[in-house]
Amino acid sequence: MDKSVVFAVAGSGKTTRLVTALDETRRFLLVTYTEANHENLRAKVIERFGYLPPNIAIYTYFSFLHSFCYRPFLRSQKGTRGITFNAPDRFPAYSLTDDRRYMSPSRWLYANRLAKFIEQAGLIGAVVARIEKYFDVFFVDEVQDFGGHDFNFLLAISAAQVDMSFVGDFYQHTFDTSRDGNVNANLHDNYDAYKKKFERARLKVDTVSLKRSRRCSKSVCDFISERIGIDIQAHDERTSAVRFEDDPAAVAAIYRDPGTVKLFYKEHHKYGCFSQNWGASKGMDRFEDVCVVLNPGNVRAWKAGSFRDINPETRNKLYVACSRARGNLTFVPESLLTGIVRI
Amino acid sequence: MGTIQRLVLRNFKRFKALELEFDPELNILVGGNEAGKSSVLQAIDIVLSASRSKVEGIGLEALFNVDCIVEFLAGTRKIADLPVLLIEVYFDGLPSRHDLDGRNNSKGGDHLGIKMMCKPVDEYTREIQTILAEGHDNFPFEYYGVHFLTFTDEAVFPYKKPLQHLLIDSSLINNEHATREYTRSMYAAHASVAQRNLHGFEYRKAKAKFKDAVFKTMNDGLDAYKFDVKTSPKANVETDIILTEDNIPVDSKGKGRQCFIKTEFALRNREHALHVLLLEEPENHLSHVHMRKLIERIRASVKKQLFVATHSSFIATRLNLRKVLILSEDNPSRPASLKDLSTGTAEFFMKAPDNNVLELALCKKAILVEGDAEFILMEALYEASAPGCSLDADGIHVISVDGTSFKRYLELAKLLGIKVAAIRDNDKDHAANCVANYEDHVTASIQVFADPDNARHTFEVCMYQDNQVACEELFAAGRRSLSVEDYMLKNKTDAAFHLLEKKGATLVVPGYIQQAVAWIKA
Repeated sequence: MDKSVVFAVAGSGKTTRLVTALDETRRFLLVTYTEANHENLRAKVIERFGYLPPNIAIYTYFSFLHSFCYRPFLRSQKGTRGITFNAPDRFPAYSLTDDRRYMSPSRWLYANRLAKFIEQAGLIGAVVARIEKYFDVFFVDEVQDFGGHDFNFLLAISAAQVDMSFVGDFYQHTFDTSRDGNVNANLHDNYDAYKKKFERARLKVDTVSLKRSRRCSKSVCDFISERIGIDIQAHDERTSAVRFEDDPAAVAAIYRDPGTVKLFYKEHHKYGCFSQNWGASKGMDRFEDVCVVLNPGNVRAWKAGSFRDINPETRNKLYVACSRARGNLTFVPESLLTGIVRI
Repeated sequence: MGTIQRLVLRNFKRFKALELEFDPELNILVGGNEAGKSSVLQAIDIVLSASRSKVEGIGLEALFNVDCIVEFLAGTRKIADLPVLLIEVYFDGLPSRHDLDGRNNSKGGDHLGIKMMCKPVDEYTREIQTILAEGHDNFPFEYYGVHFLTFTDEAVFPYKKPLQHLLIDSSLINNEHATREYTRSMYAAHASVAQRNLHGFEYRKAKAKFKDAVFKTMNDGLDAYKFDVKTSPKANVETDIILTEDNIPVDSKGKGRQCFIKTEFALRNREHALHVLLLEEPENHLSHVHMRKLIERIRASVKKQLFVATHSSFIATRLNLRKVLILSEDNPSRPASLKDLSTGTAEFFMKAPDNNVLELALCKKAILVEGDAEFILMEALYEASAPGCSLDADGIHVISVDGTSFKRYLELAKLLGIKVAAIRDNDKDHAANCVANYEDHVTASIQVFADPDNARHTFEVCMYQDNQVACEELFAAGRRSLSVEDYMLKNKTDAAFHLLEKKGATLVVPGYIQQAVAWIKA
């Protein structure tokens, strides 16, 4: 029984590694955290085999949680209607043993408490048995996005006696859909403590196999390591340009260039160009040159020479955005774009 | 190979509750006319089809148990008590189908299966309340929803159906709709999806070509409006195909031949073609010769799970009595299985001459007699022993059994809890033939009756001695070498028939038969 969690850096080939490990005989359970990555992984699997082999089941985490872990055991009994991503009301505060804690008055299950509900119903053992019965290998992608009860649930079901490999990038933790009150609220504050939690659950922690980025050039990796403070190494000695551009004419040219994606902190759709948001660009691997748009605060950080001390969540998203670049990485101030587009 | 392991019914047709465990290869459903054999096949067909339109076509009113509706309407009419119709089919041998494996079933355990549930739609609660409050005797079926769910409570999609199945109902063998359904199912079973797509495409192409070539002259003579050939969903390969034998359409053959061909074709062993075959009274329309052939085909079939509903003892015994499930008319929720019958007995009936096994299996009380003479006279003897009573009125069947096979029938009766009086001759050794011989078979509900006097060694001897005057009067005339008693022994059935004809009303009943009648009546 091989169980490990591999911490990777951006562009080091996590998905490729997962897809390469698949075959058409063993029964695989693949769980991703985001919808986007689910699509991505599915496409890659079909690309590899020419079709979706019936021995490979790909779920997003919440569909796995609901349809594989909850519904087979409790749906009829609890009479629930599905999952809601709305947060539960803070009051009234129902006790852990009260079903109303876990579902809305119209019987929709709160996504962030579903894992706890399953645990509370004493079903961890049954879920583990179900995984063992139907699968030989359990892969989890984007493991860094598991938080709150979901993190505890994941470690609990890692007791299943099947081959297991979780992959993720600690610094790409940007989503927080799992949070419930202060459960695991500080999970992502300390990388070492985070790794220890996996070790205690008897998973081998591997920070070596995927520590080099194949996608990013040495220049981009050096920039991220030095200026953002996230350790990433390049797979080869390839270089590319990393620069700040504040010439209005040059910025306008980049804005119009359909070959350069513009990555915004938020609301990219308002700018009417080839664009995406920092956080949502996670998992995307199809960009060559990347232009990262900085708001005034981040422009100040650039000028001061370091992004190390900005808000940790923003810093992670910036890391995601910068690490999309296969070629050149250009930063532009948002103010020059608001001049071009009327917002 | 996937098979059906169990069927659970709640409020379905005549079953308020029913649970049946199935054999993975062959299941023979036996029962009286109203016992619900067809309902069991229909329930399986409905769930495996997972088609709402099929259910709506039949109508919920026809599917719901009448008693539960009547009881609900006569009761307090609470929303919470509205009856729910449930059909659950449990599967075995589907190792990779976790989408079927869950606890959302009436057993509450981890099982693989599919269910159909008809229950009131929550959103209509207020309307239902209003209707129920009006107090009339119409049940609000219109506010019920039909759901097909797996045991993980996931909707069943047609392309994810776990087993391919087919129902062949011989009573509908000439029905146009049923024939079309049959042809379509068999087509689907024999052509892959990719093949079917190709057929559809080529068929459409051929029609276009036909139009272009053959209609050309006519159409060229027209300007705006032209003639074409239909290519709609109502006129495609699947609607237009038929089945032929030697180039003659099967549906233009006689009913018997159609029954045979359709069943035979469905039984052919083709990988993945059909997993479950439901045969409704296959004996209908079939000559004895064809029935034998069909039985051979059924016995030879492999990799299919068969469900056969039948009235025929011949089919049941020849196929294998141990695979028989008996549905009772009086107690529909308590089916009986013959799987515990000994192999020897099952094999005996498979080889034995035509027999009345099902008649015994389906009754509650029976008198077994040893020969045709007893059989002919039994009714008269019964009425003479119990004045004012009759076999029919008392629900007692008389079954004539060859003396050597009494024990086979007694084993069956014991297994099914049928009360049986076995009447036999002592053959000059009462202690050995009639007591020691049946030591292992006699129970509180199974008794053997014979004359204890070894001199009175057969039925004819007893009848002669107890009715000497009548027998002499009937048979003495014309006897030269044989005594009347010997004549009766040599011409048992004729003598019995004459006795019944001429003296039926005044017969003196031998003591052991009187005892048998008194005991079985009790």
